Amino acid sequence: MGMSLSSGAVNASPNVTPMIDVMLVLLIIFMITIPQLNAGFTATPPQGQNLKPSPEEDTDQVLGIDASGQYWFNKALIRPEDLEQLTRNTFEGRDESILYIKAHKDLSYDKVLKALDVIALGGVRVAALISDQTPGTESLVESDRMFTKGGS
Amino acid sequence: MGMSAEGGQGGGHSNEINVTPMIDVLLVLLIIFMMIIPMSRKAIDATLPDPNPQVQTANSANDQIVLSVLADGKYKINQDEVDRAGLFAKLRSVYDPRPDKIIFVKGDSTVTYGDVVYAMDQARGAGVKVIGITPGPKE
Repeated sequence: MGMSLSSGAVNASPNVTPMIDVMLVLLIIFMITIPQLNAGFTATPPQGQNLKPSPEEDTDQVLGIDASGQYWFNKALIRPEDLEQLTRNTFEGRDESILYIKAHKDLSYDKVLKALDVIALGGVRVAALISDQTPGTESLVESDRMFTKGGS
Repeated sequence: MGMSAEGGQGGGHSNEINVTPMIDVLLVLLIIFMMIIPMSRKAIDATLPDPNPQVQTANSANDQIVLSVLADGKYKINQDEVDRAGLFAKLRSVYDPRPDKIIFVKGDSTVTYGDVVYAMDQARGAGVKVIGITPGPKE
């Protein structure tokens, strides 16, 4: 290349432009994929202070209930009457029957309770109600503050 | 390194900004964000009612605590009514001396999901370990 031929070795620093390109592309990919992760389903979960950290895992099953009361099972829209069969199929033969519930905070509790009753029929024992930490607060429960999964 | 010696010979020709530290910082930030996004989810675990309840034994219902979420921001712990602000102190005074940290949460048909989660949240803060959901009305 031209720069290596030039006398005096003026331009000895590594060429970082390709790396910056790659990073910018990565950044853009992330910016695009993060909303895509919740594509179709949007709900604002309620806020709370004393919440248990539950890091996401690949085996997690999430039931979303959006502001209009529609059910989304793992981000796919489902009909309400299919919910019981779907949970039954999903949790058949599993030892850990936790279903994560991400419901809109202004929904009537009736609607959420109806869904909870249905998934209980489908074999779910524990519903983990996904909530957001209120900004600037910290859980009063000691086991929540340690960043572990233990506690229950 | 060789390049710095050469740069010195050239008489201060390398007037480019050194972006390497910036890239280091950005990469670290990127990795931190990639780690935090899945880790930051939080939830309240609630135990669902048994869909096929056994016949209730007589003594099981005696010392249970049922927190009812009523309309317009009122809460009721068994029979004592409290308002939203006093809920936490009341729960604390109830659960501090109790060995079993179980609560049942019941929501009025007019309340929102957010109100009920608030009640569960306060209960967890007051030391409750197990939150039970009471079944809805049978259809």
